[in-house]
Amino acid sequence: MGLLAVVAAFRRDAGDPQAEDVECLRRLAAGDGDAAARLYDRHARPVYCLILRIVNDEGDAEDVMQEVFAQAWRQASRYDPSRGAVAAWLLMMARTRAIDRLRARQARPVADALGDEHLDALPAATRDAAADMIDAEQAHRVRRALEELPLLQRLAIELAYYEGLTQREIAERLEEPIGTVKTRVRSGLLKLREALAEGQS
Amino acid sequence: MTSAHEDLKAHAGAYVLGSLDAEERTAFEAHLAGCEECAAEVRSLGGVVEALARAVPQRTPRPELRERVLAGFDAQGRARPAGRAGSASQWLPLAALVVLTVGIGVYAAWLQVRVAVLEDRLERALLQAAAAETAVADARRVNTELQSAMGVLAAPDLVRIDLAGQTPAPQATARALWSRARGMVFTATNLPPLPAGQVYQVWVVPAAQPPISAGLLAPDPAGAGQTYFSTAPDIPPPAAVAVSIEPAGGVPAPTGAIYLVGKPGASS
Repeated sequence: MGLLAVVAAFRRDAGDPQAEDVECLRRLAAGDGDAAARLYDRHARPVYCLILRIVNDEGDAEDVMQEVFAQAWRQASRYDPSRGAVAAWLLMMARTRAIDRLRARQARPVADALGDEHLDALPAATRDAAADMIDAEQAHRVRRALEELPLLQRLAIELAYYEGLTQREIAERLEEPIGTVKTRVRSGLLKLREALAEGQS
Repeated sequence: MTSAHEDLKAHAGAYVLGSLDAEERTAFEAHLAGCEECAAEVRSLGGVVEALARAVPQRTPRPELRERVLAGFDAQGRARPAGRAGSASQWLPLAALVVLTVGIGVYAAWLQVRVAVLEDRLERALLQAAAAETAVADARRVNTELQSAMGVLAAPDLVRIDLAGQTPAPQATARALWSRARGMVFTATNLPPLPAGQVYQVWVVPAAQPPISAGLLAPDPAGAGQTYFSTAPDIPPPAAVAVSIEPAGGVPAPTGAIYLVGKPGASS
């Protein structure tokens, strides 16, 4: 290994939040309580904010936080970095648990699309492993792009992601052909992806 | 096979949002396992999903929550290690590895990198704090409007009103989703371009009452436009919804030609 490669590797390891998270999980799996606290401190805020946005109730949000981190402790040894960053993994668990809570509260059946097995079934990452982590500025740009989408595209995406409705449920609610809803979800997401890419280039 | 692939690839977005039905998901995952193109599509959309997860109003969780969550970790019966893992012990294995691999000269270089990295992180943290401020203000504003509009769709008293194009605009169509408690979402397509100094105005027409303005509609160049109307609590349900062309700024009661009109229960 050349000197430059070594320095580059260490630069990556030392400054990359993902590398620190992976180290946290490794120590967590070995029963290190400090690593548990560290993982919580690094991610509690975005995870909590997402849960609160979905369940819209502070008491429920705190219950779900406990479930999400308990799941993270349990599954720390099974985390696979090739499937995406630890931050994205935690947010995905948070979203799944929060939607479960929302559905239970609304007495809606829990969609088959959600649950632990869904997480395990995800193919090599919901994130491009080469991409940097999404920061506040990128989230802001996507939020603005979402705001600029045609209203029905935006609602379709919001209903799917934050309310946990399947495309079929959205179509039923709007009394519209499912094809129309699918097109809206797809076109909306592609525009959001463009907005995200603008800032990365 | 190609068309099946195209059909399935269109599922990638709904898949990453978790909004496929069970059988659609099973079919997509089976395809995904052997299709690098679809796998790449899923990966590239993953960033959007993470951004959606982060594009929410920001709040700090209560400090008490931290204790509660961490108590859950201890309750799982994991042994706490005797030594406390500080920053020094965290970096020592890395340092040792550097020394063993390439010698002491690189260790010095690594320390320099480490300083640069810390400076870089500080800078990024400051940048993120500034961006987060803007994001919070922005999200609050958008959230109010959006949640109102979503409230309409979730409302138990949702009424759908399809509007048909009239003589000046036979191709135009529109749909109003009305809830007495939550308001009205209005979308129109194929509206003709407006003459200078004119606007489209949306009207809610209650039975046996004069029309109430539900706001102005600014269609895009393709003739599509949408608006959200927050209903007053005492407003009666509409017997009809209509769109007329009016002088810029709108008027208190309709004066111009009617371009679109529809009644509840009537299909366009």
